[in-house]
Amino acid sequence: MTGSAPSVAFGEGRRPESATQVTFEAFDGPLALLLSLIEARQLDVLTVPLGALADAYLDAMAGLGSERLPNVSAFVTVASQLILIKSRALLPRRDDGPPGVIDEEAPDPEAELRARLLVYRAHRDAGLALQERAIERVGLFRREPSAAHAAAMAGARAADPTPIDVAILVAALDGLARIAPPPDLPPEVVPRVITLSERAELIRAALAGADSVVLQELLRGVHDRVVVAVTFLALLELVKRREVVVEQDRPWGPIVARAVRGGPVADDAPIDESLESFR
Amino acid sequence: MTDDEATPASDEVIEPPPIELTEAALEALLFVAERPLSRREIAGVAGVDRATVDARLGDLEVSLRARGLRLVSVGERVELATAPEAGPLVARYVGADAVRLSPAALETLAIVAYRQPVTKSAVERIRGVDSDYTIRTLVHRRLVVELGRSDAPGRPFLYGTGFDFLERFGMTSLDELPLLDVDVAARLAEEGGDATLAD
Repeated sequence: MTGSAPSVAFGEGRRPESATQVTFEAFDGPLALLLSLIEARQLDVLTVPLGALADAYLDAMAGLGSERLPNVSAFVTVASQLILIKSRALLPRRDDGPPGVIDEEAPDPEAELRARLLVYRAHRDAGLALQERAIERVGLFRREPSAAHAAAMAGARAADPTPIDVAILVAALDGLARIAPPPDLPPEVVPRVITLSERAELIRAALAGADSVVLQELLRGVHDRVVVAVTFLALLELVKRREVVVEQDRPWGPIVARAVRGGPVADDAPIDESLESFR
Repeated sequence: MTDDEATPASDEVIEPPPIELTEAALEALLFVAERPLSRREIAGVAGVDRATVDARLGDLEVSLRARGLRLVSVGERVELATAPEAGPLVARYVGADAVRLSPAALETLAIVAYRQPVTKSAVERIRGVDSDYTIRTLVHRRLVVELGRSDAPGRPFLYGTGFDFLERFGMTSLDELPLLDVDVAARLAEEGGDATLAD
């Protein structure tokens, strides 16, 4: 869990600065790695010569996997700082040099890196303290009656620490597969077919029992415009076949259909559904 | 629902008569609210001034210390939540478990919590590594919230923490954050808000 887990081990008979085994996956950033190298040696961040850690850091970086590539630049930046610090430590310092030398005015890279390490360590430790507190207190809970009530009703509780046997899960899944009803087929949309013949038969049947039929009466209660249109077309078809005559006194008035008495016997030929005959 | 109906719009001419904001009434209001209320909202509902609300909230906060509830506050807003000591029992009832984060998420969260409002680049400067994914994950889990945008070039987002962070880590306000390492705290104090606008 923690970034300072014993991920760094020492090689035998070597100076403590050079670690031989580093588990790199544990480190998210270069400062975390550098701090772990220091802590694994039980050195004080405030006093350790950071340049002495350059070799160990570079060893660790050599183990950098390709999956770490997006962060490589961050690690390389710190590596370059460590090398700079080490090289400065090796070279004689020009304490008595002439005044105004730029090097002396520039900020000390070791002090800067040390300060960054301290700030980083403080926040890392604060994060770990927060985690401890969260585990100890579990948390505060605000009033969420619906959620809390539903969860309690459902028998929700903290996760069971004992792992479930996979075989039990497989058996349960098997049982479920056996008792599961076949899925309901999605409802199929079937278009309602209204045919001229069907509507013509309706008109004929109505005329068989009465002298005259009013089209509006026949269509009373019908709201489907297709049905109305096809019925009207069927009526026209019957007129064309001289089976009925149609009268309408005024526009929008009742359309009265009468059977033609003594006219031609109803044609048995099916009414042309292609509507070609209306051309 | 009822809050909204009872809250008079600022430009409304007819205001309902003020109701005396007793400590008990305030407690009842927060109990029913089921969400954080702003101090202004409470003042509006009761028809009293801000100073009265602040005073009653102070009284309530003190009274609640002996009870199983606490007053949790984030900036302007306050809510009632269970006391930290009651956490384990309530957690067992609702089936909750303590939040557990990776080391990377924890240190990022700590930086945001202690240094808010803070930009992503300031977080990355402290961690020394790209933190985009970590911050996005924390925002997704509502442990980190976007507070707005910085005036720095590019107007980067400013991040902070809200009620969810306090609740999950068992705190009633940011004042309860454990102290940072003394030396570093002093250094941060010297730097002031510098790091939030850095880079």
